[in-house]
Amino acid sequence: MQINLLDRVRLGIAVFAAKAITSTIRTFKLGAASVLPGTIGKRLHPQILTMLSQQIKYGVIVVAGTNGKTTTSLLLRGILEKDGWKVVHNEAGANLVNGLITTLLEHTSLTGKLKADYGILEVDENVIPLVLPQLKPKYILALNLFRDQLDRYGEVDTITYRWRKVIAELSSDSILVVNGDDPALAYLGQQLEQGENPKQVKYFGLTEPELYLDKMPHAVDSIDCPSCGTALDYKGFYLSHQGDFNCPKCSFTKSKLSIDSKEWPQVLIGVYNQYNTLAAITTMESIGISKPVILDTISTFQAAFGRSEELVYNGKKVRILLTKNPVGMNETIRAIDRVKQTGGSSVTLAILNDRTPDGTDVSWIWDVDTENFVNSGGTIIVSGDRVYDLALRLEYSKTNLDSGCKLIIKENLQEAIDTALELTPTTEILHIVPTYSAMLEVREILTGRKIL
Amino acid sequence: MNLELKIGWLYPTLMSTYGDRGNVIAIQQRAHWRGINVEVIPYDRDSHPDTIHQVDVIVGGGAQDRQQEIVMRDLAGAKTAAIKAKLDAGAPGVFTCGSPQLLGRFYEPGLGEKIEGMGIIDLDTKHPGIDTQRCIGNVVFEITATRLAAELTELLGGQKPLIVGFENHGGRTYLGPNAEALGKVIKGYGNNATDGTEGAFYHNAIATYSHGPLIPKNPFIADWMIKTALQAKYQTEINLTPLDDSLADRARAAMLKRLNINQN
Repeated sequence: MQINLLDRVRLGIAVFAAKAITSTIRTFKLGAASVLPGTIGKRLHPQILTMLSQQIKYGVIVVAGTNGKTTTSLLLRGILEKDGWKVVHNEAGANLVNGLITTLLEHTSLTGKLKADYGILEVDENVIPLVLPQLKPKYILALNLFRDQLDRYGEVDTITYRWRKVIAELSSDSILVVNGDDPALAYLGQQLEQGENPKQVKYFGLTEPELYLDKMPHAVDSIDCPSCGTALDYKGFYLSHQGDFNCPKCSFTKSKLSIDSKEWPQVLIGVYNQYNTLAAITTMESIGISKPVILDTISTFQAAFGRSEELVYNGKKVRILLTKNPVGMNETIRAIDRVKQTGGSSVTLAILNDRTPDGTDVSWIWDVDTENFVNSGGTIIVSGDRVYDLALRLEYSKTNLDSGCKLIIKENLQEAIDTALELTPTTEILHIVPTYSAMLEVREILTGRKIL
Repeated sequence: MNLELKIGWLYPTLMSTYGDRGNVIAIQQRAHWRGINVEVIPYDRDSHPDTIHQVDVIVGGGAQDRQQEIVMRDLAGAKTAAIKAKLDAGAPGVFTCGSPQLLGRFYEPGLGEKIEGMGIIDLDTKHPGIDTQRCIGNVVFEITATRLAAELTELLGGQKPLIVGFENHGGRTYLGPNAEALGKVIKGYGNNATDGTEGAFYHNAIATYSHGPLIPKNPFIADWMIKTALQAKYQTEINLTPLDDSLADRARAAMLKRLNINQN
């Protein structure tokens, strides 16, 4: 896209100012350098997000959803880079407006030129309506929608309504890649396929009934038909409210999926990562990346720090699985349980904090189905700011007070980690399940490095 | 004698946000661990209104606005009458989060039409609008509802009944002249961030914004409900075997310390 000279000059000034000020801030250690350039940039040129993103040669891929944005984005990036493309990606999870601008500014020269083939931008679900008109993305990935951090986010219905309005306004070049197993998102896709400015929509999902859950999980959001409000019929649930559904009353049902999940491997462990993998594959196939490149990237994939990370500490294998909300934690426990059943893991360390990034309302832990995990034995060490609340949740999961897992309470995190490692045999893997701020502390202890 | 307790759970799939099912789990387990047979009976759109008469205690939680509207439409009429009759007869109940709003006369959301409530308790709730700050945070209040406070103090061996929980609500609730407050706020917003009251108490029904969920850190509430219900059902004095509540004590102590509140 052509930018006129005046705008380019203004943009250049904005970039220069942003970088100069940031450099000063960093030198004098004054503040949050990860979003400051964006704030400054936006002040100097209100259209800065548009001016920057429209320079990305083959367009922007927006990644939205409650869980999985970072893992999916890293996978998309890995595939594109393996195929030889230059990619910009808002890595530090800075997914609000200023974070997006900051990311793009970092790749922009002082003359306002941004050189990149693809932009992969993780965008917070509530910010989508604000930035989509400016980003004009080529692809929009809608991964999933769950309740997240009860004291911050709005309702699923309001979010899909706002997304639909803003995506409908995009040009017909924009393609929506949506989780077809999620009723609210499947409906969103179907509505966008019709209407005044119909969009191309691709659906991803699972076709593996052997993965169905035994019963409907408790932490479920939208199980009413998004079209007529009747309770949906489900053949089976794969993950929370995602599964094989159809409405007994109206004609709402699942759309055809773009790819067959059985034909593809996945990254990391857990059903939730299978979904992330399918989302990435569907998008990359649409762009035209070859199957060997995609497969190769999947097989060598490393997760983002803390999300699902494996390391070795003092000769013991450790896996850190970040937990943020009931759905995520249900899936994490499910994945750990599978390893537990094969004898691969008998010790787990769970850490619950309630600082701002963790969510100050910890009642969500009661929406996690901890019963099977607790009653199947093993040892669970508990720690964190709200260690006793977590311990209560686990205690109340016990069918009988004198059986099930052994609960060890350690207020001090270092002691908790030491105990957990001590109790883990060298043939097994220790699973650490922390909330966000706890994950940062754990990493600092285990890797000796502070992450910002 | 093999005792049996039936827990009526209002709209478990529609009204179960904010960890509310923890209240059901806590009551269920505290009964089960004492050898009492427990059954949880859902009371939802598919239930016959009279089903509520089969239960011994009632638990209600919260929901997002759309779900709350669906619930209210379903409750209107026969179900409201049945629940009112049950509560008037003294069935213990705990209603947290959005359900106190339903028990009241109406709920006025920030945007949209006024939603009529069941009109069982003399209170109403208004949401001042999306731009106003929500009442979010850890909350501590002392139970002041006279009879409840006395019964709980006895259960606690002379200790003052203090509730430690978490509130998260946009709506502000105002008690009418015929309503009795559940407690007085020591820390937090309470009903409306103005008059220092928290919740409401009606016959043996506890209505409160405090979740967390309410019961795990305040287990004496569950024990009071179980004892009260079984005494009425079996027409005999019931003494529940004490359970080891040291985890709850430590959880409360940790929060009170953080909030700089002296337990005395």
